[in-house]
Amino acid sequence: MQQNPAIELPTADAPIGVTAGWRQTLGRVLIVGASLVAIALVAVQVLRTLGWTTLGFQNWRPVAIAYLAWAVCLCASLVLTRGERGERAVFVLPAVLMTLAFIIFPTIYALFIAFHNWNLSATAGREFTGLENFRRLFGDRGFWAAMQNMVYYVAAVLAQYVIAFGLAILLNQQIRGRKFFRVVFLIPFMLSPVAVSFMIGKSLLNSQYGPVVPALEAIGFTGISFYEDPWLARLNIMIMDAWYSIPFMMVLLLAGIQGIPGEVLESAKIDGASSWQTFRHMIFPLMLPVSLTAIVLRVIFELKLIDVVRVVTGGGPGSATDTVSLFIYREGIQKTNVGYATALSQFYLLVIIISIAIVLWLANKAVQKVS
Amino acid sequence: MSHRILRTSVDRRTVLKAATGAAAGFYAWGVPGKSYQRALAQESVIQQILAIPGAGSEPTEADMQRVGELILEPTKANVQPGEFQGQRLTFLGLNNAGKHNLVFRPLLAAWQEYTGAEIEWIDLPQAEIFPRIQQSIASGTVDFDILEGGAPWEGDILGKGLAAPMPDWVAEQIDMSDYVRLLQAPVGTWNGETYRVSIDADAHNFNFRSDIFANEELGAEWTAGGGSQEWGVPQTWQQVQVVTRFLNGKQLDGEDLYGILDVCAPGGGFSWYFFASRATAYAKHPDNKAWLFDPTNMTPYVNNEAFVRAAQDIIDALPYEPADQVNADLNRTGFEQFLAGIGSMVHWWGDVGSFVYTSDLSVVQDKVMFSILPGSDDVYNNTTSAWETLPSGPNFAPNEAYIGWGLYVMQRAVESGVDKAAWSVAAHLGNKDLGTWMAFYPSGFQPYRNSSFAEELWAGAGLPPEFISSYLSSQADSYNHPNGAIEPRIPGIFQYYVAAETELARAFAGEVSAQEALDAAAAAWEQITDDLGRESQIELYNAALG
Repeated sequence: MQQNPAIELPTADAPIGVTAGWRQTLGRVLIVGASLVAIALVAVQVLRTLGWTTLGFQNWRPVAIAYLAWAVCLCASLVLTRGERGERAVFVLPAVLMTLAFIIFPTIYALFIAFHNWNLSATAGREFTGLENFRRLFGDRGFWAAMQNMVYYVAAVLAQYVIAFGLAILLNQQIRGRKFFRVVFLIPFMLSPVAVSFMIGKSLLNSQYGPVVPALEAIGFTGISFYEDPWLARLNIMIMDAWYSIPFMMVLLLAGIQGIPGEVLESAKIDGASSWQTFRHMIFPLMLPVSLTAIVLRVIFELKLIDVVRVVTGGGPGSATDTVSLFIYREGIQKTNVGYATALSQFYLLVIIISIAIVLWLANKAVQKVS
Repeated sequence: MSHRILRTSVDRRTVLKAATGAAAGFYAWGVPGKSYQRALAQESVIQQILAIPGAGSEPTEADMQRVGELILEPTKANVQPGEFQGQRLTFLGLNNAGKHNLVFRPLLAAWQEYTGAEIEWIDLPQAEIFPRIQQSIASGTVDFDILEGGAPWEGDILGKGLAAPMPDWVAEQIDMSDYVRLLQAPVGTWNGETYRVSIDADAHNFNFRSDIFANEELGAEWTAGGGSQEWGVPQTWQQVQVVTRFLNGKQLDGEDLYGILDVCAPGGGFSWYFFASRATAYAKHPDNKAWLFDPTNMTPYVNNEAFVRAAQDIIDALPYEPADQVNADLNRTGFEQFLAGIGSMVHWWGDVGSFVYTSDLSVVQDKVMFSILPGSDDVYNNTTSAWETLPSGPNFAPNEAYIGWGLYVMQRAVESGVDKAAWSVAAHLGNKDLGTWMAFYPSGFQPYRNSSFAEELWAGAGLPPEFISSYLSSQADSYNHPNGAIEPRIPGIFQYYVAAETELARAFAGEVSAQEALDAAAAAWEQITDDLGRESQIELYNAALG
């Protein structure tokens, strides 16, 4: 079929002709106009917040709506001015703008807040205090007690890893009911940590009315309490945390084991390697990248631990089971000390980033060495 | 007994007799007698509602709906049927132990049907309600029209102009002159305006097991062990300590006995009250209203010898208390332990007493009596920094803990034009007769009106006379005590409490000494005062002291 030469078809990357020109102009007008409106609204609201004008809105909600409108205009403008290239960008842009709005901006704003004394009950409102909040946290005994607990909780991830690896190997064997057990072992991971904490930690192990204490007393134990001794309380928290976390590691490790080529293991068998030798020299090194991924992910989750502790012990006895997240929650929510709580969060974020970076660097070195 | 309970200069029965005679006289005269007819009707309403469902059982939702219907008359006098049709109110309150908002809902069913308004409920646990309000205030997003709030928060709420002043018709409907002295102004007021409809009065009293302290075998053991006074209910905290140690390892009817039950776990600021009740007899000198801060500069007293002694008492008692007491919160000591028959003494709000015969949780019927909080043989004088023995005997200083819950209508209701409906809700729940019903049955509230202390009303509903007398006396004597430890209505008061209870928990767990914990609490209090503005805190603290 012959194409009519009189009809201009705009190409994907270079729109041509009158239509394309009109589209480009409209696109530019749209984004320039939307940007001017958005900038004007932000500027007025900032001036109002600083007390330099009475113009503006009661709160920042209209500015947030303006940002959304600007984002829509930006997407439309890209499509109009850049054609197919613009359409491709629009697939990514919403995610970028969302990240900007909900992660980058709050992080920067939180950093700004961290340099202020902002107690919600203070009649004076927010006051700039420079590094005071950061100086204060270094002398905060409660915060460092929680940090120390985090070391214990993170160390417990290694024990979780060993158990998860064992279960993964077990579930990789040709055993009867393998599929059934794979589902059963995943059930704790499907449950809400809050529900697990309440059912086990708060109800079954309750020293007053839980069934476990009378059962143990019936066989001769006396004076049983699962949360009175600091180490026993910590251990119980670790066990509950492990109970619903191990399946997550197990699934990752099982997937890794199943990815090991069968011929590798078969050749080891032919060469007369024992099960232990096969594991020690074949499976474990081959699983190292997956293992490190699983451990790093669990460490990140563990550093944010709050649910189990909040429900079961509230951080007690004393500060024996406290976590940094719970400590920050108390400062920010219960004491409504937003400035200090934000400074704690920023400092903790920095600690997590540096720690994880070091772990990843060491992990890469280890993997390179093995491979 | 009644005159002792009311602690007024005129005998209550005499007043009632005179009023009844005068009203009868007016009745004979015609028109003025209509007020007497109304009084008779009111009396009949209170008798009717107190019989729903009667002592020995807990009210069902249907019972509460019926009560809500019976108290609707005062609302009808101020609101036309269907007057609030299409209006929607948001009510933020507690859901502790299935009470508070969960009691208000059925009580307001008839009100909603009559007025046509709808109520949306925000239920929060005790430890979370104040932070939630603070965040709403700070972010300018007050999303509720009616707030169930505590008097200690008035500095935060009324001080910031977030609530609406009470209209005259509401004041008339709820009869505020009947409030106990503890709730009279300045409570509920700010800059001369009234904002609060009271639904509760709060003070910690002392609940004890009368069967244990009347047990002859225990008495004989006590005497044989060299007990310094006769076996009986401890009158001072020093005696509480001795009795707690004595009961360790003993049994009654096959059950292990324990002495005092302490709250040791932090609880969003509310656990502070339990420590404070242990401390007021040591720390509140009769010559000085200030017991928490130096009113001249807001220097905390919380690490002085009196508070340290109270903390040390708890540390010393813990080995003799039930297992895991170090993690006990307020719900555990009051409901899971004392009402369940564990422990022989507990300092708590009056809920424990009102639950004894009317809650399904209770197994201690006929075994509980009450008094004001124990005293102390000596009291610390903040001015001289020395312990004193008073010539009048032990120092008693009931902890007027929390003062009481009230209802506040927010400015948001005014802005959205639903303020009359909101005030009508508050007035319905602040109904005079309902106040007695809520104190009688498990609701989360205690007697807050003088009229609720009429023993014959309680007896009519089926409670033993000795129990009523003991319970009401302990409440009234706490509210009206001349040396009551009053809580300051200053902004951020719960921040001070949260900081203190967090540090105290470390001492109770053995991580630090009592003095170290309270020194840390004092440092935290200084920081909070600086954060909130020392000068304004000094001014408001002095205003709160009166």
